[in-house]
Amino acid sequence: MSESTPRVTAPYLEQFSHQNVRILGKVRQLRGEQATIDAGGNINVHLNRDAHLQLNHAVEIIGKVQNDLSVKVMASVDMGPEGNIDFNAVEAVVDATHRYHEIFYTKEQ
Amino acid sequence: MPGSQSNDSPNSKRSYGKDTLRPVTIKQLQDATHPHPDAEYFIIDGAEATQVTFVGQIRNISTQTTNVTYRMDDGTGTMEVKVWIDAEEFNGEENQAVAKPKPVEQGYARVWGRLKAFNNKRHVGANIIRPLQDFNEIQYHLLEATAVHLFFTRGPPESATAQQSKTGGAQANGMANGHAAVGGEGLPAGTSQATKKVYQLISTLPQGHEGVHVQQIAMAGNMEVSEVLKATDDLNGMGKIYSTVNEETFALLSF
Repeated sequence: MSESTPRVTAPYLEQFSHQNVRILGKVRQLRGEQATIDAGGNINVHLNRDAHLQLNHAVEIIGKVQNDLSVKVMASVDMGPEGNIDFNAVEAVVDATHRYHEIFYTKEQ
Repeated sequence: MPGSQSNDSPNSKRSYGKDTLRPVTIKQLQDATHPHPDAEYFIIDGAEATQVTFVGQIRNISTQTTNVTYRMDDGTGTMEVKVWIDAEEFNGEENQAVAKPKPVEQGYARVWGRLKAFNNKRHVGANIIRPLQDFNEIQYHLLEATAVHLFFTRGPPESATAQQSKTGGAQANGMANGHAAVGGEGLPAGTSQATKKVYQLISTLPQGHEGVHVQQIAMAGNMEVSEVLKATDDLNGMGKIYSTVNEETFALLSF
């Protein structure tokens, strides 16, 4: 089902190009309409108008993976200072999402 | 309970005893099989599921006269959640003053409820919807749902069964050549419950040199003979048992 937005980190982007994904990362850099998010590696994101990112905050992004493996943001949720989020658990969820994808998303093939 | 539907009660007597609360993803709710259109329960991973809980993001809230419908998205799919409005709740103004935090659009919330099918469309009739206080609960829930999914599809984790099989486990493991993952009782992970039970019975039933007959196993385990035969077939294939005087009598192959 195309409604799903699998949770990914930077290494998975290539596998999901042109698809909608969900990324939970730390905001590292803000450059006007672009930003850098750290989620298992740096990811360049293109912000939409109502994205209000804050440096060193955790943010969840739903967006589309572009050709150059940047991500075009469709929606974002600020999850507070990055210390509030256990990123080991986030990493574990991404791992489980792809290891046991049968309960998370339908693999296209 | 406020918010629960009155039409739940009349014929749900049978299910109370085995009512469970299962953490799930929305995709699992969409993939769940409905045994028949009037069934009170759905089947997820081969197990009955009645009450479910999940965590998701609220995409849309629409307030009707009798209920509030939330469209929820947990990254695995979307699902409508209906919370019935309890008329009494709006009676006193003090109630409003101490009102619990309200779910808002784009916010995350946890839902407890029952999966329902209506006109081929699925929704969750919820007892409770509660906004998240801590975003770590998203990760917690998804990992819990994964653990429960794996429990039903692959059996209990090895650590949980390891203690029971401590005695003799060491020898058995040495003999289980090639099986990387040896589950409880020295059987490979993923072995069906019936097969495990038959293995248990063959190991414990009193027997002579020629082992035990399937009839005896069926009687001791209160199982169908066909079920026992399928299990002995599996065990034979795993090299755990062998047939002795005839094709229906088996003995343990280990030590």
